[in-house]
Amino acid sequence: MRLGRQAFSDDRALMMAIVNRTPDSFFDKGATWAEDAALARVAEVVEQGAEIVDIGGIKAAPGVEISIAEEKDRVVDFVAAVRSAHPGLVISVDTWRAEVGAAVCAAGADILNDAWGGADPELVDVAAEYDAAIVCTHTGGVTPRTRPYRIEYDDVVAAAIADTVAYAERAVHAGVARESIVIDPAHDFGKNTFHSLELTRRLGEMVATGWPVLVSLSNKDFVGETLGLDVSQRLLGTLAATSVCAMAGARIYRIHQVVETRQTVDMVWSIAGRRPPLRAIRGIQ
Amino acid sequence: MKTCPVTLVPGVPALLPSYASLQDPVAGLRATCLVSVARLGPRVRVSASGPSGARVAAALVAAVGGAVVEDGETGVLVVGNGSATRTEKAPGHFDPRAEAFDVALRVSFADIDAALAEELGADTACLRGLPPLAQAEVAYDDAPFGVQYWVATWEGR
Repeated sequence: MRLGRQAFSDDRALMMAIVNRTPDSFFDKGATWAEDAALARVAEVVEQGAEIVDIGGIKAAPGVEISIAEEKDRVVDFVAAVRSAHPGLVISVDTWRAEVGAAVCAAGADILNDAWGGADPELVDVAAEYDAAIVCTHTGGVTPRTRPYRIEYDDVVAAAIADTVAYAERAVHAGVARESIVIDPAHDFGKNTFHSLELTRRLGEMVATGWPVLVSLSNKDFVGETLGLDVSQRLLGTLAATSVCAMAGARIYRIHQVVETRQTVDMVWSIAGRRPPLRAIRGIQ
Repeated sequence: MKTCPVTLVPGVPALLPSYASLQDPVAGLRATCLVSVARLGPRVRVSASGPSGARVAAALVAAVGGAVVEDGETGVLVVGNGSATRTEKAPGHFDPRAEAFDVALRVSFADIDAALAEELGADTACLRGLPPLAQAEVAYDDAPFGVQYWVATWEGR
């Protein structure tokens, strides 16, 4: 798998730390709205071992419309600043707009994380032009920044596979390198809690497509509704879901809490036989 | 006729590839074992006891590109170690007799108290008949996990 300037072997699980350039995202509520706070957050997650940062300029939930110009103001110079401070870091930008995608790639981004599943058909062309990686998500065809309302699937996993694989093939056709394409079932995007639970339970079916799978579970509403917990109390539920996805073989984890997620995924990776223990001597000395 | 070199290594399962860690807890021991086993030539006869001795020997011989043979050997690999009761954290917990037992082995393998060896978890069945360590080139002599290890080679003559 190659994500812009970095290649990763198939046995690696990668941490993609969320860095919001928004005043209103659901988990951090604007904690990194200021550029210096956001740069400090990047330095912190790099120190914690995150291989990727995912920079977003627009919160996923409905709200005040953010123009293309405003989104670019929020993320383009920031991507350049992160690139300058961390030359080897993989930088992802969470955007569905091709024009924003082109600007951030020119500023040093490696991944276009299209959380809204191809809403702008030209985003793949931008990824191809800049040799960037692309994350192909499943949203069930909803409009960006809308909440799911009475959406039904005959089979949500089959729908997620069909749409993301079709998107991946479209990206290949547009000229994106095959090793730079990732699929994401997009928990809670165009899905109710039951859908997200089923996607988690059956994640192995997505892994079996052969495309590397990204999961974005962190502190989401399906965790909150399942356990009856507020946003600030969802870490354990998130890590439980993370374990299940790790066992199935998800490769990239888009997260708020790097240290806890890394520990969880390392443990599961070792249980699955994909990672040796760090240092085992008990009983074999 | 020239006799073959003989090397003694401990039967430490952590040396097996199937028990590899990201950070090798026996890196120094492993490196020493490999250098010593490589001196035995391409055909190695193994004398091992204990549940893992033969597997460890086979893994070490394979790691240096040699083959385990029944006869026609170019060297002999003996597997065994001292007590496993040297510290509180040792596999057999601390036994106050362990250190003296290992000191005696260090002097001579001739008169091993088999009953005491078993009590102390020492793997000594194949050590009998070895010349004293004083006549060997001793490359490793330590008890890093409460188990006494030696890596030693007696050159052929």
